[in-house]
Amino acid sequence: MSQGAAVGTLFVVEPGLLTTVQDLGRVGYQRVGVPPSGPMDRAAFMVANRLVGNPAGAAALECTIKGPRLEVRQAATIGVAGAPMGFTINGQEAPSWTALRVRPGDVLAFQMASAGCRAYLAVAGGIDVPLALGSRATYLRGRLGGLGGRALQKGDALPVGKASPEAVREDRRVPPALRPAYPAERECRVILGPQDDRFTSEGIRAFLEGPYDVTPQADRMGYRLKGPEITHARGHDIVSDGIPLGGIQVPGEGQPIVLLVDRQTTGGYTKIATVISVDVGAIGQTRPGHRIRFRRVTLEEAHAALAAEAAWLARAVQR
Amino acid sequence: MSTGLYPAPRLLPAGDAAVSVELGDEISREVNARALTLERLLLDARLPGLVDTVPTFRALLVHYDPLVLPWAALRARLLDLAGRLADAPPPPGRRVELPCAYGGAHGPDLEEVARRLDLTPAAVVDLHAGAEHYVYFVGFTPGLPYMAGQPARLTIPRLDRPRTRTPAGSVGIGGTQTSIYSVESPGGFWVLGRTPLRLYDPAAAEPILLRAGDHVRFRPIDPAEFDALAEKVAAGTYRPRIEEET
Repeated sequence: MSQGAAVGTLFVVEPGLLTTVQDLGRVGYQRVGVPPSGPMDRAAFMVANRLVGNPAGAAALECTIKGPRLEVRQAATIGVAGAPMGFTINGQEAPSWTALRVRPGDVLAFQMASAGCRAYLAVAGGIDVPLALGSRATYLRGRLGGLGGRALQKGDALPVGKASPEAVREDRRVPPALRPAYPAERECRVILGPQDDRFTSEGIRAFLEGPYDVTPQADRMGYRLKGPEITHARGHDIVSDGIPLGGIQVPGEGQPIVLLVDRQTTGGYTKIATVISVDVGAIGQTRPGHRIRFRRVTLEEAHAALAAEAAWLARAVQR
Repeated sequence: MSTGLYPAPRLLPAGDAAVSVELGDEISREVNARALTLERLLLDARLPGLVDTVPTFRALLVHYDPLVLPWAALRARLLDLAGRLADAPPPPGRRVELPCAYGGAHGPDLEEVARRLDLTPAAVVDLHAGAEHYVYFVGFTPGLPYMAGQPARLTIPRLDRPRTRTPAGSVGIGGTQTSIYSVESPGGFWVLGRTPLRLYDPAAAEPILLRAGDHVRFRPIDPAEFDALAEKVAAGTYRPRIEEET
């Protein structure tokens, strides 16, 4: 998915709290210990790309809690989606969930998120950093992908690829009724297992009743939660095995850790359940102090929810 | 069942986009060979919607896109492939030589390990470097090998208090295993030495040095050779000694 030679740039005036280049993630390297990375809220990321007519896998910016201040160096079409983060152009409030034309000299800026945690800024043509192991996604701990494997810094110039012709011609937006909400209390659906048989029935009940608070130890690797203790029936260690996206580890002290896009690929703690694909983004939209409850669903219900999300994505962005 | 293999694999859902195929209940070469063989058969099948595979000691985690590869189809395919494992040859491994500076600043725990095991430091090095270490899988952090194969005489419980910082390349033992830190990280292994090679190098064309199924031997080197090799590695002029198995 080459995005061609860079035809424009975005200049980083202020980097924000933690702003990284992400695409849909690195595929095929978990077998050698490299996590997929990619956006923490996949649906919002995909909407941002659709707004500007990009392919789903084009690279865009993930802004965390407080987004960056960027100066436009070349006319472009941009789109912002995800958590409301006080987005402005030249100091004037500007709409999210809407494709916007910007001109050289325009300053794009974000404030603190008023709800949720992560916002996405896509540019028609995509952020055109080099591929690293087949992906532009930033993996911070592995210093891989994105801009030199790190978060944006003041003074960076982000290369932007060539936009598709539709991006410049069409006005796209997500109607307000179809925009997601970002509450401070989230319900996340889970499928029990793969090691739910290692917990007591009281432990599983406590887990499903919750609620769990998001602690300050919450990043792209995983979220440590705090709430009712989850008791093991027999030991908290297993023969190390692979960890899925949204896998919920419970080590000895009985508090859950939800493992996310930059997670370790394997681990030796019992996993009580896995957050279903469409609700992983809900975790990524929480931050310390927010609250999570888990609800058990079946595999069939999870797959139906995934199909429903794909249908939502197909109709959310309208012309 | 002395081999630790299950009569039939267990398919454990790991959420709605991954499934763990568990092939046995113990850490053994036989069970691990089955996991690596299943991975090879699955990758060779090039199923649309197959996203990623993670082999471990006794299981294979299969990541899939359920909208492209429906669960029922994947399940049937996995059971079919698992039924053929007994007749399929395991994927070929490689023989890899890793230079290792034992003891001193590079191996701060060598003396203490020797004392606890009632051996001389030289005997610990001989036992460790004399063995062939088999890479069960690579995981946790990029390029980190989970290896076993050292003599039982070197079995030692892990550190009571894990170190907060261990340099990349550190070669450690704990339990019956050897591991090598692929990035600077905390850890509970006793550090016997350090290799100047990079198990993970994000800037290299081939960022990952070791693979599941590899056979590793450590070649003892002195600190001067460590420095010389580290310089070559940094300059990109060092070629690790790797033999393909036929």
